[in-house]
Order: sequence, then structure tokens, then C-alpha cells
Amino acid sequence: MPLTMPEEILLLMLDDQSGRLQERAAPSGDYALAGGVLAELALAGRIDTDPGRLYVVDPAPTGDALLDRALAQIAAAPEAGDSRHWIETLAADADEYRDALFERLVAKGILKRVEGRFLWVFPERRYPMVSDKEEREVKARIMGVLFQDDIPDPRDSMLIGLCRAGGLFSLILSTQELDRVQGRIDQVADLEELNRSLADAIREIYAQIARYAPMV
Amino acid sequence: MDISESTDQGVKVAALKGRLDTATAPLAEGKLLGLLEGGAKVVADLAEVHYVSSAGLRVLLKAAKQAKAIGGSFAIAAPQAPVREVLEISGFDKILAIHASSGAAVAALA
Repeated sequence: MPLTMPEEILLLMLDDQSGRLQERAAPSGDYALAGGVLAELALAGRIDTDPGRLYVVDPAPTGDALLDRALAQIAAAPEAGDSRHWIETLAADADEYRDALFERLVAKGILKRVEGRFLWVFPERRYPMVSDKEEREVKARIMGVLFQDDIPDPRDSMLIGLCRAGGLFSLILSTQELDRVQGRIDQVADLEELNRSLADAIREIYAQIARYAPMV
Repeated sequence: MDISESTDQGVKVAALKGRLDTATAPLAEGKLLGLLEGGAKVVADLAEVHYVSSAGLRVLLKAAKQAKAIGGSFAIAAPQAPVREVLEISGFDKILAIHASSGAAVAALA
């Protein structure tokens, strides 16, 4: 069964050996996960967007508990918001989404759960990789889109926007490769409104960090 | 959504009318991909389309992708200002041929 975008993004954010999340994927990784949930709902025909709003077009459950939880939340909202509002709202629950996604990837035999202690004191749960086939396939798909000139599939555009949002390209491409394909990344990602809203939301995070960093 | 078809100088023109969004995307997609069969030259005339959502944009992209894959041609004609703006924000104008009128699109593809 193919992985969903939130699962793919989480796999890419994980340091395969240690089973810990890549520090470089933070802090925008939460937004990328939220974006992945919305992207799946959009491609499943449950929500649609335009530059001003994100709206439910079909509240019928998808059968994926994680997606359906977000869909129900959006459907129940008293007022429509734009994509950025929903990215930020869902990202507030990123811990819960992440835990559920980790459990799923364990159930699929891709990761294993290891309970341990960090600095001998703090309880820590890690998810080292058992099977790297899925992650290799995702990376190959991404490379295929970036290093060719074809018109991308919507799913691939979405995924590339999520990787851009999560700062993941610096983890999967060399500096030279990144220089070469940065224009293509932006072109492919910006085709999707969700990706542009995601980029806006993340720019705001980094602007806030820059604003408050001198005070820390 | 209403879609009417005509042929001009060997180019098939699909004139779309109404909203192009999740609700109408399957119909529009089926129609455009059907017209493209056999590597045809197809214009999507958007003069009467007043709203295009993200799902609607994906239909246009799929048609352009299909045209490229099978050796056909695909162009968009006469988008209204708000629709044109969405096409430009998303960079579709860099990937798709967009013409000011159906006649201009037909002339470009014929």
C-alpha cells in the first residue's frame, strides 16, 4: 500500500540510523506535516482551495483516521479560513499526528520503536529504520521530477512543496545539486496554492525567530 | 459547468462555462483528455469561466501534461482577469500557453 504524504514527509525527516528527527527539519517540520494532511485531503477531493480560502467540498470520511480527524475539524469550523489558517491550526496538533504516523510506519514494518533514555535520564522513544525501500522510492520520485523537465503530477508537486517547507532538500541533495535545481523546486512547488501558503507561513516563523533571537 | 465543442482550422476548441472546481473538475478533465486523444490540438476557452480553484488548475495541468505525453498540443484562451491572476500567481503561465482570445490560441496551434 503506498504511503501517504504525511508518512513520506516524516520518513524523510527522520535520521535513518538514530531514529531521531533531523534537527535541521525543525521548526517547520510541523507545518510540513500539517500541509501533508491537507494535501491528501485536497487530492482525495474532500477540500479545495483558492488564494483566499480553504473549504470542504465533500465531508465524507476518507477511511484514513488521521485525515478524517482533520477533515471533521475543518468541516465543523464556524467560519471558513484560508489555507494558511488551517496549516497553522493543524500544526498545533503536530505531536499527536507525528505519534500516530510513527505507529503506522512501525505497523507497516518500515520503522521499529526503541524505548531508551537520553543523557541516561530523560525517557526517549526513537524510530530507527527497518526497511529503507520506501524512503528510497520517495527520494527517487523527487529526483525524477527535479532533474527532468516534465510537467509534474499534482501529487509530486505537493510532495516537493512539503519537502521545501520542511527544509528537507538540504538533507537529500548536495549543495551543488541544490543550487542547480532550486529554480525547478520553486517552479514545481508553487504550482500548488497549499505549497505557497505553506511557504508564507514558514517565512513568518523564521521572521519571528529572527526578531526574538537577539533577546535570548 | 457547460462545455461546448467546436473545431476551427483543425483545432478542437472546448468552451467551458461556469466554475472550474472540485465539483466540475472530473467532467472538465474527462472532456479535455478525451479531446486530446490521438494527439489532437486542443484549446480550452475560459472566457465564460469566472472561478478556478486549485482542483480546477490541476485539470488544466493534467491536460497539458497529457498533450505533451502523446504529442498533442494544448492551450488556454481568454481567461478572465481573476482567473488569469490565479494562473500567474501559480506560475502556470510559465508552463501553459495562454492566449488572449480563442482565435489567437487557434492560430497559434493550427
